Amino acid sequence: MASVILVRCVRGARAVYHPALCLRQGGGGGVRPAAAAAATTSLLARRDFWQQRLVQAPGNAQCVQWRRFSDLPPLTPESIQERVFHVLKLYDKINPEKLQVTSHFMKDLGLDSLDQVEIVMAMEDEFGFEIPDVEAEKLMCPQDIVKYVAEKKDIL
Amino acid sequence: MEVLSLYRRIFRIARSWQAQSALQHDTDSERSYIVQEARTLFRQNQQLTEQESIKKCIDECNARIEMGLHYRNPYPRPTYLPPMGLATQKGRKLRTQQKLRKQAKPVYLQSQDET
Repeated sequence: MASVILVRCVRGARAVYHPALCLRQGGGGGVRPAAAAAATTSLLARRDFWQQRLVQAPGNAQCVQWRRFSDLPPLTPESIQERVFHVLKLYDKINPEKLQVTSHFMKDLGLDSLDQVEIVMAMEDEFGFEIPDVEAEKLMCPQDIVKYVAEKKDIL
Repeated sequence: MEVLSLYRRIFRIARSWQAQSALQHDTDSERSYIVQEARTLFRQNQQLTEQESIKKCIDECNARIEMGLHYRNPYPRPTYLPPMGLATQKGRKLRTQQKLRKQAKPVYLQSQDET
């Protein structure tokens, strides 16, 4: 019975596994302590470990993915754009109806440089990474911001 | 522009500000105070065009930032000068007094009004 559960875990892990991400410790809901202890040494060791378990215990073909690892949902340009628009709508100096993808902050929306700094700070808070001053000066419309964030996160 | 980088610096400070008393509501109120002060003062002085007044405002901003960071207290420390505090035997008139008082105001209090 234990091996069946373990195989289901492994199948679930393999389904969500992404080589570039590092699996967080507390993320897996019910990782068996022994498996966790053995697998925390390194990522490569972890992968080999899972491979071994798969080879050893070929279980049933159905894979019920009841394991969830903690990570953010994958970023797509559309999701970035949605979040940017959401933040901009929350800002009270912007009229939500006038907001377009290419609306220039200063010319179309009538904001000034201090407001632009505030907006860029809000974007920093939203996406969780720092934007240096040099780059932040150039971001003048939502399209620029989306492009910059996508570049930074290596999506496009 | 230095003004914008100062503005950004203040916001970054405000993001990670912790109050000296370490109470949550103190931290929140001080953070919002910092942000509010920055906004109002920068807007007020937005229209200045003379180099010296801009420089004075920048000095004031820097002084307040450094004092706030050093003493962990964002509020400026008001100084007390009694009404005839700077009077000499010769210059006891009102205009002299006002001139002297303006000179004696510390740099970090330039934007506050005298009560």
